Amino acid sequence: MHNENIEQHFNNRNVTEINSDYFMVDIADYPTDGWGKFTRTLRRALRGELFVGLWVVLREMIRFDIHTIQYPLEKMPIGPRYRAVHEMKRLWESDAERCIGCGLCEKICISNCIRIDTRLDEESRKEVTEYSINLGRCIFCGYCAEVCPELAITHGGEYENASDQREHFIMYQDMLTPFDTMKAGTQVEFEGFGAITPHEDERVKKTPLAY
Amino acid sequence: MKKEINFKINGISVVASSGETILTVARKNEIYIPTMCYISKTTPCASCRMCVVEASGMDGFVLSCNTPPVEGVEITTDSQALNHERVNIMKLYDVNHPLECGVCDKSGDCDLQNKTLEFNVERQNFSARDQLRPIKHWGLIDYEASLCIMCEKCVHVCNEVIGDDAIEVKFGGYNSIIIPKNSEALDCTFCGECIAVCPVGALTSSGFRYRANAWELERIPSTCAHCSAGCPLEYETRHASINGEDELYRVKNNFEFTSLCGAGRFGFDFENRASSDEVAFNKAIQALRSAKAIRFSSMITNEEAHILELLKAKLGVKLFNEDARKFASFMHSYSSISGKLHHSGSLDAIKQSDAVVIIGSRIATDNPGVRYALTTAAKHNGAKIVYMHPMEDALMQNVITQMMKHEVGTEEGVIALLANSLLSEASLDEDERAFFDELDLGYIYAETNIGEEEFSQMMKSFARASKRTLIIGNDIIAHERSSNIAKLAALIEKYSDFSIVVVPRDVNTLGVSLINSLDKDEDISNVVGYNAKGDFLISSLGSGDLAVAALNQQEGTFVSIDNRVLPTNVALAFDGYTLNDIAKAFDIVKDETIDYTKELNTNAGFKGIAFDDLENFLAPLGEDNRGYILDEVECASNGKIEELDDMPEFNGTIIYQCDPVLQFNNYTAKTTQLPKENFLRGSAQFAVAAKINDGDKVEISYGSTKITREFKLDNELKGTVALNPTFDISVDASRYRFEKSKIVRIV
Repeated sequence: MHNENIEQHFNNRNVTEINSDYFMVDIADYPTDGWGKFTRTLRRALRGELFVGLWVVLREMIRFDIHTIQYPLEKMPIGPRYRAVHEMKRLWESDAERCIGCGLCEKICISNCIRIDTRLDEESRKEVTEYSINLGRCIFCGYCAEVCPELAITHGGEYENASDQREHFIMYQDMLTPFDTMKAGTQVEFEGFGAITPHEDERVKKTPLAY
Repeated sequence: MKKEINFKINGISVVASSGETILTVARKNEIYIPTMCYISKTTPCASCRMCVVEASGMDGFVLSCNTPPVEGVEITTDSQALNHERVNIMKLYDVNHPLECGVCDKSGDCDLQNKTLEFNVERQNFSARDQLRPIKHWGLIDYEASLCIMCEKCVHVCNEVIGDDAIEVKFGGYNSIIIPKNSEALDCTFCGECIAVCPVGALTSSGFRYRANAWELERIPSTCAHCSAGCPLEYETRHASINGEDELYRVKNNFEFTSLCGAGRFGFDFENRASSDEVAFNKAIQALRSAKAIRFSSMITNEEAHILELLKAKLGVKLFNEDARKFASFMHSYSSISGKLHHSGSLDAIKQSDAVVIIGSRIATDNPGVRYALTTAAKHNGAKIVYMHPMEDALMQNVITQMMKHEVGTEEGVIALLANSLLSEASLDEDERAFFDELDLGYIYAETNIGEEEFSQMMKSFARASKRTLIIGNDIIAHERSSNIAKLAALIEKYSDFSIVVVPRDVNTLGVSLINSLDKDEDISNVVGYNAKGDFLISSLGSGDLAVAALNQQEGTFVSIDNRVLPTNVALAFDGYTLNDIAKAFDIVKDETIDYTKELNTNAGFKGIAFDDLENFLAPLGEDNRGYILDEVECASNGKIEELDDMPEFNGTIIYQCDPVLQFNNYTAKTTQLPKENFLRGSAQFAVAAKINDGDKVEISYGSTKITREFKLDNELKGTVALNPTFDISVDASRYRFEKSKIVRIV
């Protein structure tokens, strides 16, 4: 069900088709002469739209089955593609960090907020020694998640950012999926841009092996 | 001889001259033929077979890289069959190639990546049993055999251009790997050229490994600041750690046409980290006000030299720089005969030579750029190379065809004999002929210890040569009789087809010698040192009273051995003061140091081009578009050759001021990756003469200098001369490089 939706989205992107759900908004032309502008001003000033708004609020106040969400007691579910504070994922197989330190996220970041440092570790592997995202600069564009070849950096759904330091949200250790989550098998894959497309398994061509 | 061959590539009429291959002609005419193993500066490796083309009248494909065209042939570079062949080659390259592009150092500028994408290799039909191929650690170089595609570029470069001949292919079909030649571990000069040419990530720099990727690094085209060869290079910078400042990560070069030695490639982090210190700056101004002289080194830009010259005029101080002064006086004597201000040769001239005489330099370590040019000449033109020096050099063994070992200090006699042989049939004027007639050949042969037959052998081997070069090394510059040697060298150039290359010692010795009017160094007080010793020290080395920028933190120009004015650029920012700021305090006002570039001494051949108008690149076919070549300057040729002096005798324990491989000066000594072996190295014979043993701590004294070093026995050396490194001390450039010295063991 879910995959079908995605597939439809991927397959039908032609918004210009006549029978699509898109339509042009009917907006009157802008006045060009002085008189036109004057009458538009008058019309807008005397329309009484203010009272429309006041009426809506008043109506909701006295109604009983209201739709207002009682935040923070209640929370709206957010979409799988919501781009909030980043997360660093682990490999399902080994629980090891997925990040290989290629630095593509740092390179692509248009607000220059990612910095990464790597080295050759004792086991001759590339180790990420430092990783930081400056959330003060991040515009949550999602390019880092999109470019990541390992699906290591993704956006999460954590949008409640209240603290006295922005850095508190972006400790590398906090971004990493906790081992408990890995053990429980509840690490959530990001479904936004850059994620694996449906039927990826069928599209992979296998390398022949001589043995 | 020069025959033109007309033929067609893809229907386009092209012309080849003799010696050209289909590939070189195609490239010249901007017709694309893909290659994997081709590298312009070596003979074709012919291992990749990517460059196959179809030729009319031929069945099958021909390799365009090593096939010369024939008259009228029609070449097709692109067809379905060719594409199929090339895609299959790419597939074979991709068999079992580890998919570690995400971490591979080469990723981003990897030929295998590029070509795999270019040929749209979307399916693999081949397979082979994978095998364990552990990573080899060879000091500064790492070799990961599983990534190696056996293009053999590294082997060709090592053998044909560098001359180390240190690696070879161990053939074994799919099991082939690159191995060190004749030894377990890699034993070479660690130029790292194999890393540069490696199209994949098989050969990597161990110091750089996994620290950054190609796409993260900013590239700054510049010029190497270690020796006078003026090799082009690119510094690559990136921030260090997450809050760190920019740092130099590595150096790369345009390996297709130029080479770089290990000091240039691995010795890049000699920058001077300093912050603006106003107190020190004011002290420096005070010191200069009361100074009697400024002593400086040649490791500065032309612009700095120009500012020093302006300061000299303004403050009435003397300028001391023995290295450049000696060089200038040598060149002055040379000009007095040749009538030209600059020497006529260049590295390119050496590369194209088929006969070379080299005198007065242990060139492999003095100037690797010249060594690589010599190797190229030897391997590609079969050049006859005569090496005249009191010491054999194991590094040059594969390249030189004749070693003329002469006694220490007898260079004047040697060059007189050389001139005598080369100019025996030249139409000299009377005085000159008289000079040769009056030569006491018997005495000279005896003193120099070179036999007459050695010269006749040389003349025989030179008989068929058409492009000849005489290289004059640094020993001669500070020789007691350097003036007469210069004149004799100029005479050789004047009356024979030899071109002359004089090797300047430091990166900008030549530039300084052209810009500054230098005074003889006196041992006086109140001397301000600018990168050289003085009572007040302004230094880019990190120790000193006022810090200035090192050469990788400055804009400016150098003059290289090719008489080429080369731009250097800022790789790392410098926060402190510059010489220009000091000049401003003395009302010599220009906004930037590089504003002086167009004001450089036009009498010395500088062209008056502004710094920002200088180009710094090599064209796709390798033409050098870096900076400009100094204008030729005519000068009076009224010099007279003097009679030969008595040859000096050097007996006992002699040391030769000579740096080990990969070291040149205090700046290379500062870098982290380069080895810093400051041993006194000598032969077993030397050890016996000096009564010292391997590993002894010794005190070496000559003149007024005393140095303590560890002695190391070196089996590659012979004779009674030991090598004393100078990179970690400041050496007096006014002294002849061979020193009679007293060596005492310290208990």
